[in-house]
Amino acid sequence: MLEGAELYFNVDHGYLEGLVRGCKAGLLTERDYVNLVQCETLEDLKIHLQTTDYGNFLANQTNPLTVSKIDTEMRKKLCSEFEYFRNHSLEPLSTFFTYMTCSYMIDNVILLMNGALQKKSVKEILVKCHPLGRFTEMEAVNIAETPSDLFNAVLIETPLAPFFQDCMSENILDELNIELLRNKLYKFEADRRAFIITLNSFGTELSKEERETLFPTCGKLHPEGLRLLAQAEDFEQMKRVAEHYGVYKPLFEAVGDGSGGKTLEDVFYEHEVQMNVLAFNRQFHYGVFYAYTKLKEQEMRNIVWIAECISQRHRTKINNYIPIL
Amino acid sequence: MGSLFRSETMCLAQLFLQSGTAYECLSALGEKGLVQFRDLNQNVSSFQRKFVGEVKRCEELERILAYLVQEITRADIPLPEGDASPPAPPLKQVLEMQEQLQKLEVELREVTKNKEKLRKNLLELIEYTHMLRVTRTFVKRNVEFEPTYEEFPALENDSLLDYSSMQRLGAKLGFVSGLISQGKVEAFEKMLWRVCKGYTILTYAELDEPLEDPETGEVIKWYVFLISFWGEQIGYKVKKICDCYHCHIYPYPNTAEERREIQEGLNTRIQDLYTVLHKTEDYLRQVLCKAAESVYSRVIQVKKMKAIYHMLNMCSFDVTNKCLIAEVWCPEADLHALRCALEEGSRESGATIPSFMNIIPTKETPPTLIRTNKFTEGFQNIVDAYGVGSYREVNPALFTIVTFPFLFAVMFGDFGHGFVMFLFALLLVLNENHPRLSQSQEIMRMFFNGRYILLLMGLFSVYTGLIYNDCFSKSVNLFGSGWNVSAMYGAAHAPSERKKMVLWNDSVVRHNRVLQLDPSIPGVFRGPYPLGIDPIWNLATNRLTFLNSFKMKMSVILGIIHMTFGVILGIFNHLHFRKKFNIYLVSIPELLFMLCIFGHLIFMIVYKWLLYSAETSRVAPSILIEFINMFLFPTSETNGLYPGQEHVQRLLLVVTALSVPVLFLGKPLFLLWLHNGRSCFGVSRSGYTLVRKDSEEEVSLLGSQDIEEGNHQMEDGCREVTCEEFNFGEILMTQVIHSIEYCLGCISNTASYLRLWALSLAHAHSEKLAPSEEDDGEEETDS
Repeated sequence: MLEGAELYFNVDHGYLEGLVRGCKAGLLTERDYVNLVQCETLEDLKIHLQTTDYGNFLANQTNPLTVSKIDTEMRKKLCSEFEYFRNHSLEPLSTFFTYMTCSYMIDNVILLMNGALQKKSVKEILVKCHPLGRFTEMEAVNIAETPSDLFNAVLIETPLAPFFQDCMSENILDELNIELLRNKLYKFEADRRAFIITLNSFGTELSKEERETLFPTCGKLHPEGLRLLAQAEDFEQMKRVAEHYGVYKPLFEAVGDGSGGKTLEDVFYEHEVQMNVLAFNRQFHYGVFYAYTKLKEQEMRNIVWIAECISQRHRTKINNYIPIL
Repeated sequence: MGSLFRSETMCLAQLFLQSGTAYECLSALGEKGLVQFRDLNQNVSSFQRKFVGEVKRCEELERILAYLVQEITRADIPLPEGDASPPAPPLKQVLEMQEQLQKLEVELREVTKNKEKLRKNLLELIEYTHMLRVTRTFVKRNVEFEPTYEEFPALENDSLLDYSSMQRLGAKLGFVSGLISQGKVEAFEKMLWRVCKGYTILTYAELDEPLEDPETGEVIKWYVFLISFWGEQIGYKVKKICDCYHCHIYPYPNTAEERREIQEGLNTRIQDLYTVLHKTEDYLRQVLCKAAESVYSRVIQVKKMKAIYHMLNMCSFDVTNKCLIAEVWCPEADLHALRCALEEGSRESGATIPSFMNIIPTKETPPTLIRTNKFTEGFQNIVDAYGVGSYREVNPALFTIVTFPFLFAVMFGDFGHGFVMFLFALLLVLNENHPRLSQSQEIMRMFFNGRYILLLMGLFSVYTGLIYNDCFSKSVNLFGSGWNVSAMYGAAHAPSERKKMVLWNDSVVRHNRVLQLDPSIPGVFRGPYPLGIDPIWNLATNRLTFLNSFKMKMSVILGIIHMTFGVILGIFNHLHFRKKFNIYLVSIPELLFMLCIFGHLIFMIVYKWLLYSAETSRVAPSILIEFINMFLFPTSETNGLYPGQEHVQRLLLVVTALSVPVLFLGKPLFLLWLHNGRSCFGVSRSGYTLVRKDSEEEVSLLGSQDIEEGNHQMEDGCREVTCEEFNFGEILMTQVIHSIEYCLGCISNTASYLRLWALSLAHAHSEKLAPSEEDDGEEETDS
């Protein structure tokens, strides 16, 4: 940003920032969650959601209501909000929005490639794709056989092209390679990804050197922590690495051991929510847009989780949602 | 007037509704619009309430009805709008209605589905014929027109020249042809090129007529394309890409005969489809027409039913579960109607035990209800836009009926325009029952809703226009001007008098561009014009200067009167709520503050008008300077308007300065004193007053303790104070904020009232621009 950009921020982006703050105020509160958890059926859930900012977004759904219907409608709502932001934004905020869609696009590409491997029809998988990461060329993904094919034919004109540029190889796209590709692509959300990659690589044939190449090259762990992580062989060693970092130490301490406790992923989610909420404490920056989208996603995950618990009559774990404070 | 001056007196009533008759009773109440319900189940979340199932059913009905309305409007069938609003359906009919609607929905969905399928089929066939027609030209075309790529081998180029020679070569040349929407062509071509590395030829041409997209129903432009490719692998990829871009692919005929056969087949099928489609559409229309008859009243009925259940959700059950208890606010005047409505509801449902009500005393503040009629409604809306007064407060809308149009007229101030506006509003008022007016467009409806306001604004403008003597920005000489130009030549005056006066003669008139009438010469000014401004000012060059001075002063005077009136209305409130101390501690300091500064200003203006005549006008002091000097205490003595002015002004300033601390601290300290049991300050100081200074939190703690202990002593005094928790800090803050707002408001509002002048000037000036002729005989007058 330029010197004194705060002074001019509102000229271009003031409206949208105000809007996004208003939307954030519409997120479900703790009280809402307490009520949602008490629901007996999905119909109850729908009625309660009607009293919140979701409004009657399910009004046109015919019975019976299913979790996936709720999920798609929520996604549609988020998408329309996001599109509204994007259509009303000016540069450089609109580029920022484009960057935000990139991760969803990558996920969609990976999803489609996996689907193609399993010989599923494109249409079937398209339904599962995140609407924020939709792009026209997406459906042609399964023409490609190698990553370079993919890049040259399909992705070169999309905003994804610069990301894919660095991970060209002539390997056949099998499941492992796709997963590797995904991790190579995700160079953001650095530290969490590094931990998760390490955690997931335990017990697989991934060599330590290969693992290191997957790590992102930014974040607080870079470079020393990443080198140590690459050498880690089990969770305990990973924890020891994390203990060198003030931010991650309490997170790893919060992880429960074995049964009952929280998983590392949950802990990271909670931390993310916290950081996203903090983003709203400051004015004049684009972070609020990212934070809002992420918070909304977390909220959707929560609702889906609660809805799943209700529909499967699996109430013991219904409280494992991650509250947005 | 009584009901408009203050809001209605309300009482809290408890309704005991027998659970069998509750629905009917509420329906009867709802039709009359008598009461406001209180939510007795605030802690129960929305899905755990009693009548959730019924609300859900209503929502389901609403969904079906919305679908019906959508289909009906899509088929362009006019929705008959019944003017009477039907009451909520009796419970017995609800099930029947639900069944009917559900059956209708199923039928409609089936028919529309069939119709859509047929239409889609038809569209596809039409697309196919278009494609066949266009692609026929592709193969015959010359090489030059083919959009070939440079890398393409010459062999394949030749092969396209003649299709049959191609086959003789035995090469596997494949064709894919179809339609693609306009926006995607470019990207499609690029991707095709990249993936197939040039082993394809794409030929495309725009379709001359736009077609409907079978999936979205949108009418867009299409391109017909033909891809010729080499080899099976490529063909597989080409098909994938076509899928990706949502192309509509149709089989490509290999020979001319085949093409003709297909074409003929298509034509007959299209004919068939047309007839079937027409029949389906006719049937659909019949179904919809039948549905359209009742759909409007059904929508209203379902809405009412839903509202009733929402209200029932607010009621609580009594212990025996046989009776619903509702708490409602009802205007005291309507209690009888409320009883009647309950009886009616019970009678309708044929219940043995009637529902009844009783009034319960309460200390809560009831809601504000102000009844309006078509005349006062517009004014009430203007006031409500600024905020609704609390219960039984003086309602300013009553006075707005006069002040709002009047202040507008001060700004508008044109006899002619005002009359036109009055006529327009009169037209609206006389035709107010015309149905087209109330359903007109947004802007027209705005005028319609404010027709009475417009009417009064027009009337008042006629009056102010007469005062300003402005009719379409021209003056009207009704009574003959009070000025006499010929007297300036001075033939009538005695020679001894002539020496003192500046008189006109031929050379003066010839050589001066601007001439000045002197009112001090006898005969020139023969007394004021009977009504408003003398028309001669219309000819004067200093007309604006004169009018500005007049209008500015008038604006300030009107503004101060307006604001003072507001403070006086506050006194009525204090009297009504029996808070006399507010008059002494708030209203009077407020009045003093305003009148000592601005009241004095008005006094000066009026005094100057009265005191100085044409002869003495040259020595008149400037009011602006006098007013500024009031605050600056200049050392150099000026004459002032009247003897002893300086002392009076000092006194006024002292009063103003003294009223400010009273305004800030008077009320909070008085309340504190009351709160401490009216004991004298000196006495209570021996107790816990020292602690009080330390922290305000402790004060409130002590305060609440105090209430519990000393409740009995204080009951005789002010009940209002003791029933709320006493928080000195809060009261002080509120009062300080109020005072600051008031003091600043006095000054800034006075300045704002100058807008009356500014807008009046703007109105007069914008009109002036149009007829901009300049009179030569300009005269300058002095006042």
